[in-house]
Amino acid sequence: MVWITTSWLLRGSTSIEYIPTRQERITRMIEEVQTSIPTGPKIWAIGGGKGGVGKSVVTTNLAAAIARSGARVAVVDADLGGANLHTMVGVPSPKRNLSDFIARRVSTLAEIMTPTPIDNLWLISGAKALLETANPNYGQKGKILNHIAKLDVDHVFLDLGAGTAFNVLDFFLVARKGILIVVPEATSVENAYFFIKAAYFRKLKRAQPRAQVKAAIDEVMKSEARRLVRTPRDLMAQVMAIDAEAGAALMEEASTFSPSVIINRVERSEQTRLGAEMGSACRDYFGIQLRCLGTLPFDNLVRRSVDERRPAVDLFPQSTFASAIRNTAGCFVDAPAEALG
Amino acid sequence: MSDARYEDWQLLDLSPGADLSEVNRALHFRRALYQPGALATYNLLEEDERLRMLDRIDEAYRRIIGNEPPPSRGPQPVPAPTEAKTEPPTGPRPDPRTEPGALLRYHRCAKGLTLEHLAIETKIRTVLLEQIESEMIDELPAAVFVRGHVLQYARALGLNDPNELAARYLAKVKLD
Repeated sequence: MVWITTSWLLRGSTSIEYIPTRQERITRMIEEVQTSIPTGPKIWAIGGGKGGVGKSVVTTNLAAAIARSGARVAVVDADLGGANLHTMVGVPSPKRNLSDFIARRVSTLAEIMTPTPIDNLWLISGAKALLETANPNYGQKGKILNHIAKLDVDHVFLDLGAGTAFNVLDFFLVARKGILIVVPEATSVENAYFFIKAAYFRKLKRAQPRAQVKAAIDEVMKSEARRLVRTPRDLMAQVMAIDAEAGAALMEEASTFSPSVIINRVERSEQTRLGAEMGSACRDYFGIQLRCLGTLPFDNLVRRSVDERRPAVDLFPQSTFASAIRNTAGCFVDAPAEALG
Repeated sequence: MSDARYEDWQLLDLSPGADLSEVNRALHFRRALYQPGALATYNLLEEDERLRMLDRIDEAYRRIIGNEPPPSRGPQPVPAPTEAKTEPPTGPRPDPRTEPGALLRYHRCAKGLTLEHLAIETKIRTVLLEQIESEMIDELPAAVFVRGHVLQYARALGLNDPNELAARYLAKVKLD
């Protein structure tokens, strides 16, 4: 039924001249920043549809592992809904945070970059940002991203909030790599697929100049919000059938979407296959590559390290979790795990 | 290797010409992904789509290995439970003097809790909790740790007298 509506919408789409909105101009600007400064930091965004899967723990530990190897790393608390990254890296109350930047009390992000007890690791705190800026507008978001790309560090890790709000999706999409944290639980897997689908549609929609095709994408998103089937692959086929040019543009955009996943809190051996299995399922049903960067074991020492307000790689470097983190961190710095010891 | 098309290899995630053992491994992996209750495809597809996918996998396999029918899918494996279930205990309540470990298990099962649950609660590894329940004396750490673990475990279960049970457990450990 849906397709009857959308194909009708798509049919009249050829002759409309396209004028970019303000939002799209900012998006282009951000994307240009990302691609035009090869010397800028590598930006990694860590998300995951569900709360409580260990996004902040994994972010701080990956960042700390890379910092310990000598690269300069900044972690940014972009969880505007519940910022607490500062506690995890042992900075009890950061003096400055993102809200100072958004409110223009400081002019650069470098001024709110706080050193942490770990060498080479800095924090940009989001603490209290929520209260003042519940929902940064697109311009503010663009400004934050623009400044992140100019930070004088080698790597930036963005710890995103839970959920699939546009804020989260935009930060996720603009990063060099968007990484989802998943735990071996049905709800987490389900949320991850929902997140992937939402991010994918947002990416396609943002790249799609024609209002009619945008409307079609919206239609699909709305009608299928409760079901994960009838995925981007179907959308692509449908658009292709109606308007080959728009379809080809969508295809090209789609091929650049390749999120990654890290499986956290693995307890049983059969769960170690989850990353590969999700990759396989994503290929079949979304037609995209989902790469698994690592599998992290459940480890009681992680909880203790959080209580001690230090990353586990720093406090318990011999733990199974720390060693798995170092293996995973190799994917970010193109270095073997031994170099991250 | 007969009628196989490129898509068949692709469907099994293989490069064309992969050897038989690789093909079989791929078949196994791909089938497991579309078993009912498989975690990685949770709520991703409708039942008819799932079955269609299994058929497509089998067809691709058949063409790759040269029209031989794929090995039987066998009895449908019991889907891996996403949440381990704990059955209520059967049989009488164990005697704390002779079977303190079994008593812990009895109370845990009576409350419908899994070992994973208690591991989170007590911060004791599931393996060790299991060893405590099963009284695998040789596997347990030094007595002083065992006492602490049993205490924590008993407290997490809300038992009346954790100290008493810990003392009994320790007495048994030392006896053995």
